[in-house]
Amino acid sequence: MKTLINSILLCLCSMQVFAGVAVIVHPNNGDTIDKKAIENIYLGKTKSFPGGGQAVPVNLEGGPVREAFDSTVLGKSSSQLKSYWSQKVFTGKGTPPKEVASAEEVIGLVSSNPNIIGYIDSSQVNGSVKVIAEF
Amino acid sequence: MKYKQAICLGALVMSSAALAEVNISGFASVVGGQVLEGSGVEEFGLEPTFLADYPLVGAYTEEISFEPDTLFGIQLSADLLEGLSATAQIVSRGANDFEADFEWAYLSYEFNEHWTVQAGKKRLPLYYYSDFFDVGFAYPWIRPPADNYTWQIFNYTGVSVLYNYLIGDWTLTGQAYFGREDDEPNKLLSEFFFGEPTREIWKDIGGIVAQLNYEWLDIRLTHMQYTNERYIGGEQVEWDGQTERDGKFYGLSVNIDWNNVLLLTEINRLTLQGDDLDTYLVTLGYRFGSVMPFVSYSDFDDGNEIHNTTSFGVRWDFHPSAAFKIQYDDVSDEGVGAGTEDSWRVAGDSKSISLGVDLVF
Repeated sequence: MKTLINSILLCLCSMQVFAGVAVIVHPNNGDTIDKKAIENIYLGKTKSFPGGGQAVPVNLEGGPVREAFDSTVLGKSSSQLKSYWSQKVFTGKGTPPKEVASAEEVIGLVSSNPNIIGYIDSSQVNGSVKVIAEF
Repeated sequence: MKYKQAICLGALVMSSAALAEVNISGFASVVGGQVLEGSGVEEFGLEPTFLADYPLVGAYTEEISFEPDTLFGIQLSADLLEGLSATAQIVSRGANDFEADFEWAYLSYEFNEHWTVQAGKKRLPLYYYSDFFDVGFAYPWIRPPADNYTWQIFNYTGVSVLYNYLIGDWTLTGQAYFGREDDEPNKLLSEFFFGEPTREIWKDIGGIVAQLNYEWLDIRLTHMQYTNERYIGGEQVEWDGQTERDGKFYGLSVNIDWNNVLLLTEINRLTLQGDDLDTYLVTLGYRFGSVMPFVSYSDFDDGNEIHNTTSFGVRWDFHPSAAFKIQYDDVSDEGVGAGTEDSWRVAGDSKSISLGVDLVF
């Protein structure tokens, strides 16, 4: 029971740590990218932006922003996603998005390549990237 | 280090540099179990047995054992860029005395976003779970229901073409494949059914798979055909005076993952020389956060060999990469001619318990 209360508290705390999830692309990317399109790209169902350009998703390695993105945008728990990708990886039908360790790395990749899509804590957004959706 | 990763990823994205990135991933299951109560098969001198994995003869008895379902797998995948990659999967199983074998070894070439061709040795994608049979983390049970996954051939060497289309809110994926398998000695037939070294050949294997997916709904249709030849103890087997026989396989699977409800169904028919071998399974689970209890029923019936399994279990995702499972299986073996020389029983009735951990890395 104590553990349960602790984990609830921990959840509440970690929810307060970040402002929200901002999905970001290169400023030159003019596509309209809705939640469904983001989901399709992150689940490997498509490798293109709605406008046709190549889309390469980047994931954060872990932490509250990743968890919020997985549950809010993809609608799956981290184990459900692991299970989903393990089916694809071990049958040669797909590979999960690359993972990087920090928001700075996501910004660095997104701002230097119009094909890359990423997400970070809303409070860390700067002028080098374009926010297409916030959750 | 950060800089290096960025360069690596950048190179991968732009496909410009001749840089091979090797990914190592893997899966493991450590499972123990035992038969609590079983009839055995008197006419074969078989003690109470639960045949949990037909192709590899993973069988539990009244003594606790870890061999039948325990396995370790490592996958190496080299990305050679420009759409080319090479993948190998090495699996070591308790049911095979932990000998490590190359289960998969293939080259893959991505023509474009929609089409990929793969050539080499792969898992035969017959049933829904066939090609990730070893990856326990990817499904609810300890192992896919044994009554359905009974086929003696589970790998093939050949070519397959994979496709992937997003149509509105639906995805259409699947593959077409062609190949053969010459397995000597075939473990299931040699050790369990004929008691003599058996060479099992499936040639001209050709199949198609089409899978439609919409958010919570997943429908899979498949057809496969092959030509069978068999040698028992070096002698070629004849069926109705012929050394070859043709098999045609049809399968339909409908899975629903809606809110916390998981419903998995599969129905299959193999027509072999005019005989129909029918299998089906139904599993219903409900997710309470990270804990999912489930009930399952699976059935095999070819008119002579008849058996089914009722299972209850729980999967608990105690870690993002690991799941604990416990499962109770009640097998009913209704093979005709029980107690006679012409008995079609397989392993008799049994009630068993198994538990373990599946993980992926």
